[in-house]
Amino acid sequence: MKAELSPRRQAFLYGLLCVLLIPFVFPTWWMVTSSVKPISDIFAFPPQLMPESYDWTTYSKVFELQPFVRQYWNSAYIAALVTVGTMVVSSMAGYAFARIKFPFANAIFMVVLLGLLIPSEVTIVPLFQMFLKAGMVNTHWPLILVPIFGAPSVFATFVMRQFFIALPVELEEAARVDGLGRFKIFRKIALPLARPALASVAIFTFLHSWNLYLEPIVFLSSADKFTLPQALTQYTDAYGGPMWNIQLAAATLTALPVLIVFIIAQKQFVEGLAHTGLKG
Amino acid sequence: MAEVTLSNVRKSYGAVDIIHGIDLGISDGEFVVLVGPSGCGKSTLLRMVAGLETITGGEVRIGGRVVNDLDPKDRDIAMVFQNYALYPHMTVATNMGFSLEHRGGSKAEIVERVEWAADILGLTHLLDRYPRQLSGGQRQRVAMGRAIVRDPQVFLFDEPLSNLDAKLRVVMRGEIKSLHQRLKTTTVYVTHDQVEAMTMADKIVVLNGGRVEQIGAPLDLYDRPANQFVAGFIGSPSMNFLTGTITSEGFSAPGILLPLPEVAHGHKDRKAVYGIRPEHFVLDENGVPAEIILVEPMGSETQVTMKLGEMLATGVFRERVSLSPGATIRVRPELGNIHLFAADGGQRLN
Amino acid sequence: MAVVQQTARPEGRSSSSFWTIARRDSLAGFLFIAPQLIGITLFVLIPLCLVFWYSLHEWNVLANTFTYTGLANYQMLLEDTSLPSVLGATAIFSAGLVIFNLSLALLLAVLLNQKLAGITVFRTLFFSPVVVSLVAWTIVWGFLLQKNGGINGVLLVFGIEGPNWLREPVTAMISVIVVQVFKNVGLNMILFLAALQGVPNELYEAARIDGAPRFKQFRRITLPLISPTILLTSIITIVGSLQVFAQIAVLTQGGPGLTTTVLVYYLYQQAFQFHFFGYGSTLSIMLFVIVAVLTFAQWQMRKRIVFYES
Repeated sequence: MKAELSPRRQAFLYGLLCVLLIPFVFPTWWMVTSSVKPISDIFAFPPQLMPESYDWTTYSKVFELQPFVRQYWNSAYIAALVTVGTMVVSSMAGYAFARIKFPFANAIFMVVLLGLLIPSEVTIVPLFQMFLKAGMVNTHWPLILVPIFGAPSVFATFVMRQFFIALPVELEEAARVDGLGRFKIFRKIALPLARPALASVAIFTFLHSWNLYLEPIVFLSSADKFTLPQALTQYTDAYGGPMWNIQLAAATLTALPVLIVFIIAQKQFVEGLAHTGLKG
Repeated sequence: MAEVTLSNVRKSYGAVDIIHGIDLGISDGEFVVLVGPSGCGKSTLLRMVAGLETITGGEVRIGGRVVNDLDPKDRDIAMVFQNYALYPHMTVATNMGFSLEHRGGSKAEIVERVEWAADILGLTHLLDRYPRQLSGGQRQRVAMGRAIVRDPQVFLFDEPLSNLDAKLRVVMRGEIKSLHQRLKTTTVYVTHDQVEAMTMADKIVVLNGGRVEQIGAPLDLYDRPANQFVAGFIGSPSMNFLTGTITSEGFSAPGILLPLPEVAHGHKDRKAVYGIRPEHFVLDENGVPAEIILVEPMGSETQVTMKLGEMLATGVFRERVSLSPGATIRVRPELGNIHLFAADGGQRLN
Repeated sequence: MAVVQQTARPEGRSSSSFWTIARRDSLAGFLFIAPQLIGITLFVLIPLCLVFWYSLHEWNVLANTFTYTGLANYQMLLEDTSLPSVLGATAIFSAGLVIFNLSLALLLAVLLNQKLAGITVFRTLFFSPVVVSLVAWTIVWGFLLQKNGGINGVLLVFGIEGPNWLREPVTAMISVIVVQVFKNVGLNMILFLAALQGVPNELYEAARIDGAPRFKQFRRITLPLISPTILLTSIITIVGSLQVFAQIAVLTQGGPGLTTTVLVYYLYQQAFQFHFFGYGSTLSIMLFVIVAVLTFAQWQMRKRIVFYES
């Protein structure tokens, strides 16, 4: 498969790849360019690949119509907390399931894995009722606690466990002989070596939290509590129709930072996910 | 430094017994090698001394103190692992100083100890490197350095040379031995390689199936193996065994009569196993006839596979045997180097 | 040094004989898993029991009544005239998504596995939608798929009059599938690419010496060797397809009619728009059973479709 290709084959492949690329890349381009088109040009025919005139007021409207800064902050801090929390919880649990002998370890692991089988949509009704009773509806607690401790973190635990299983036992034995207790072995040996796995857990978790949509619209009801995905859909006119250019401006503000981080660190993203993400 | 005593040490996983009650005394400063085929329990035994495996029964004492329930870190031992187990995310210096760091050594003290150990092992110029930047032999040295910085009561080695190539293994063997002569720390060393055991040990413990077959100095094991297992395990190429009967004329094996030493006559008419090392055959006009099957010249010596009566045996001769397969030579077993074992159980008879 | 320790505790066992190494390790193990275990109990196990309990009740939020009705909600499942189309939409959506997603992912992975300069740039670009905010991605596509939107604009340049994608039954379903596939196919693509790169090159060299043509190499060597990955990705993709909510909510709101109302969206409507929490819980149970059965079935199938397991 990896044989050298003839120039003609190469040209054909490049062409094919470029055509296939259109639906992956064009929407992002269209989002960014349309967000600065005046409303009259939004549906212009023929379509304007580059804006012919610019209307930057869409961006100021994003901030005028909704507490967008606040919503941005909500999404960011929730995703950050969830990411860090999940890394802690899942690396500890994953380590224990991979490395520590304790009674019922396998049975407990099976129960935990049940979380993989249960889409969070299944439990959304009782979770809503539980948080309602706890007075936490229209707060960010459900969006923080459930992902860190509940079903979404099970996948992370699984990834971490797979990683720790593959880590040579002798390293930990050497550390025991060197005078380290369980927790220190975890902190000083296992965790530093688990960086690639932790990175992919962090990426997955961040994206998951950042994209959460059902949970916010179930749990949150006031605009200053909203997260970005929810806020994006709120830019509507008096008739409930979307204000396209403003929605697209807000969408651009939401999507671009993550996209830029991704392009800078794409190697870590892609290889992290490929090598530690889902093997086994 | 300390002595290590094992009394009736046992290990079982559920109903399966791995170690069947082992007694062993290791005196202060001694270099003891545990040797045996794979699965004999030698590594398990070492790991029980280290505290990496729990002890099912019996007692392990280090320096007079029962350590059964102590963590490895409280046993004051250092261990060199088969795969070195160097921390990949730390430099050589940090690797070596890591244990001191966790035992509350001061910075200056750690630096001093690490430099001392690096100097002994010739690692000084590598202190800032990471394990992945080192060759196999260098990693091996770092693993040893990590063990010696702490000046522990006991060194434990778990097949430390098995990942090195043949040439480097010989070099490191010498280094470990001279290190021991310099530091005089009690050492327990596990290997499956009987050459390593012979060359390094003050005392060899031969293990088989979770039991001790024999304990003794290398040459004692070579000269007077207590049973057929040890006889076959120690020495390379390994001892020839011929089954037959002890008679007044000699040892009668199928198709051949072999000479016997005087002492053997006490066991007349007994079924036995006749053991003779390849290097204890002598070319002699008056010897027994042997048909040559295969000749393997090694330069310094020649290894010959030959047919003694109906059985194959190996002989090693310092002389150059320039005969080809099919020819017949005459060989004589050295009377003083004949080993007789009971046909049932394999215990030594003479 | 040795002497000091020897006299300090000549016969002493460890400081406490109860806390043996094994016991201390067990304690450590439980402490390490405690957060996850408590979390699972609180946010998965208890809700799972509750959702079953709710499904046996008639729950009127406005009147604040909660009455036991036995299997009445399950009876309602059978009588619900919307449910057949909901399940149909779910099945079409999931099947279409899985087939389109896996074949596109495999195609892209094979193309990206070629020796070509700048191939990582393509890899990055194909993967990029994965990191674009889901709702942002959906909004752009919604914008593109409008009657007078970008896609129809381009079609019109070529003289084709495009449909109102999101307002006609067949095209609406195709649209939500396609939008979802382009968003996430990069993940499966990367997994397939890693699997392809794990196939030893010698096997292809041996096959070439044996004279096997390329497509045969693919069918007889590549596919069997990456079959564990195919199984894994298909499980993940199917389970994922049953959870798709945001795209439907933003693009079609389940319409036109019920044509794109998948189970999760229907569940959301029943529970949180119409406040039928009892019936919503029954639908949750149904979703749970479907996911469990599908996962189990695929797992069982692994013997048949996975030719090779490392």
